[in-house]
Amino acid sequence: MELTFRKNELTGESMYCGVHSSGLGIYIIPKKEYSGSYAIFGTRYGSVDSKFIVPGETEVTEVPDGIAHYLEHKMFDQPDGSNVFDKFSKYGGNANAFTSFNITAYLFSATANFEENLAALLDYVQSPYYTDETVAKEQGIIGQEIRMYDDNPGWKLFFNYINCLYSKHPVKKEIAGTVESISHITADYLYKCYETFYNLSNMAIVITGNVDVDREIKVIEAGIKKNEPFTEPIRKIYPEEPAQIASPYAEKKMAISSPMFMMGFKDTDVGMDGKSLLKKNIEISILLRMLLGKGSAIYKKLYDMNLINNTFATDYTMQPDYGFTAFEGESKDPQRVYDIILDELEKVRDKGLDRGDFERAKKVMWGKYIRSHNDIEDYAVTFIQLLFMGIDYFDYYDVYKTVTYEDAVDRFNTHFVRENSALSVVKPL
Amino acid sequence: METIRINDNVSVTSISMTKLKTTSIGVYIHRPLKAETAAENALLPYVLKSGTALCPSREEIAKYLDDLYGATMGATVLKRGEDQIIYFDAETISDSYAPDGEKPVAGLLKLIMSAVFDPYTVNGAFDEKIVEQEKLNAKDRIDAFMNEKRQYASARCQQETARGTSFAIPRYGEKDRIDGITAKSLYEYYASIMTSSVIDIYICGSGSIDEAAAAVREYTDKLEFSPAQIPSTEIITRGGGELHEVTEHMDVAQGKLALGFLTNVRPGDKDFFALTVFNSVFGAGAHSKLFNNVREKLSLAYYASSQLEKFKGMIIVNAGIEFENFQKAYDETLVQLEEIRKGKITELEFESSINAILNLCNSYFDDQRALVTYYVSDRVAGTDMPLEAFIEGIKRVTPGDVANVAKKLRLDTVYFLAGKEEA
Repeated sequence: MELTFRKNELTGESMYCGVHSSGLGIYIIPKKEYSGSYAIFGTRYGSVDSKFIVPGETEVTEVPDGIAHYLEHKMFDQPDGSNVFDKFSKYGGNANAFTSFNITAYLFSATANFEENLAALLDYVQSPYYTDETVAKEQGIIGQEIRMYDDNPGWKLFFNYINCLYSKHPVKKEIAGTVESISHITADYLYKCYETFYNLSNMAIVITGNVDVDREIKVIEAGIKKNEPFTEPIRKIYPEEPAQIASPYAEKKMAISSPMFMMGFKDTDVGMDGKSLLKKNIEISILLRMLLGKGSAIYKKLYDMNLINNTFATDYTMQPDYGFTAFEGESKDPQRVYDIILDELEKVRDKGLDRGDFERAKKVMWGKYIRSHNDIEDYAVTFIQLLFMGIDYFDYYDVYKTVTYEDAVDRFNTHFVRENSALSVVKPL
Repeated sequence: METIRINDNVSVTSISMTKLKTTSIGVYIHRPLKAETAAENALLPYVLKSGTALCPSREEIAKYLDDLYGATMGATVLKRGEDQIIYFDAETISDSYAPDGEKPVAGLLKLIMSAVFDPYTVNGAFDEKIVEQEKLNAKDRIDAFMNEKRQYASARCQQETARGTSFAIPRYGEKDRIDGITAKSLYEYYASIMTSSVIDIYICGSGSIDEAAAAVREYTDKLEFSPAQIPSTEIITRGGGELHEVTEHMDVAQGKLALGFLTNVRPGDKDFFALTVFNSVFGAGAHSKLFNNVREKLSLAYYASSQLEKFKGMIIVNAGIEFENFQKAYDETLVQLEEIRKGKITELEFESSINAILNLCNSYFDDQRALVTYYVSDRVAGTDMPLEAFIEGIKRVTPGDVANVAKKLRLDTVYFLAGKEEA
């Protein structure tokens, strides 16, 4: 098949990409000097996708929560009774998989036998095999995974936070579902989801590290099983999410040493993908650095008052249809942290943003982009996540260079709005 | 790899890794892990990274780093056996990726050396405000040990297995030692250890070793050093005896089982390669016996794994289980150990274990911090073995060696983090 060659002069990176006749998107970024290589084979399918219309059908399909994650676990069973890990292990590949809100992905890293590992990856992700017996066996394992998260205060803090922000959107639900919801999962449900979301036209593969483009493309072409690409999109059905938050505050008690908090703002300027979404991401990331970074006046104030320590961190999560900022840390008095941050942000609104701070924060974003190339795994994961949002991470600079001080000011005014904020706290028993 | 010895205590080592777009700098100050000084060693890096003569406050440091395209500088304390290491870690994009021809590597070297050798002081003491703030944070860090239950159970089991040795002292020291520390006493302590400790400095990426050595000499030339060694650690060789059983209760949803085994193998022993492979066969990965039996066959756990604590000669097994499955998980772990002792290791298990270790070791060549970490650990263990030689040693291990080394293991400690105690 024909691949497009692209070169980025600023980073020195090259990429080969194309779409196979099966509909599969292929992206290869060779880094010849690396010892290791990495492949990730992912689908646009995550925990939020429990309600959808299969292309060609008219009826809405609704499946139990937690099924995308369950399906990921069950992909490792093979029709001949073998376990997929065995194949990778034999070739020294370190295989894994993950399910997030919007993506399910299967991956491996290797420092030898890349082609054998790649063939194994393509094979098992295209070989669904579920029986009621093998499905039942997983209940115990995933049940313990859910329990493990029940004991994880950071995880509870996070889900309580997004449950403050969202009243309808399924992002508020636990990725693995609940012990109750997964008890309804059957082999039939798994096949239905597989046939829909694992159509290759809904998937992509990203390969990077010490790889040979010609050889890998041959392995991919040989490894693609029969697939009729969808000619129309899968219609994912999400409930109408109101702009306002569900609740301003959540609290939970757990066996921890001191209170933990997560606060931030629901993004109400949603419904975009591609370049506009990336631009929004850069704007918000710059603002978080300017306003709440270690060099900021707010950080200094809170630190000097002993209200935060160096666990304090900020983040922005984005998807085309939802988004939120999150500031988290440990504090003796989370409510006070919340009040001070909101008051200080009001003062910034009156005073205006500092241009010097903007320029410095923008430089930081460029440094982060350059640094993100170091780790082949992190790079490939970021690449595929952004790809599924219609964003071209390879040409980050094209969007980066367009972000101006005025954009940051506008974004500040739309995002940091008191009514859209919430606070989640986990306190010691 | 190239090393310049600045003096008997201080060295600068450069590892070239230009395929990465960054350069990282690590500083390791080796101190013996002792109850009397553990809290001071743990507090010190947090004070040092909060104010330097070059940038006297946290905000100035943060802005200085942001101007270097968001370079990072962190400092904390590590525990490697009974070596408590005051550790600085800094990273920047390499000079060739700075769009306007700036020199971020030199800028970062200047800052990190200032943080290590030239802290911000007021009348012969650290800044009192900084010290008092960091004392509070240090207490929080010690308390936070319990928050992540999975790591907590594993670390508690290590402590219990290492009972009676300095290794049982927590990484961040004991809380009750903190109140007695003052801005003046901590500074005096700092001044005394800087000239009486082994200090290893690594620069990995595209930096020049001469430039790094010059940045170091600017400070060390003014100091008088006294002889120092890297603190050494002896493995635990406690003889047989009763099983040490510890159960703790906490309000948790899932029980955490941890088993502490003594191996009687030192990092420098011939058997160490076989022990590394044994650990992989036993519980380090999806190919391992614990994963395939405790998890896949019996569905008892989501995670069931083993880890090697090489400095003390321990292997710790961890599993998250339903409380009532304690005995099942415990029994199955011992059954799997017995299988290995009997030589019941399939070709696939063995091959997979070797390949997993080789894959991990080879990946260090793509990761500046991982590669430096390997060499620091090698120095602390006194093994003097290049990574390439370690890889060769692993390749020579046979299934018979693994079965033999498995016979050396003895279960010493059973730790269980159980749910709330019934009233």
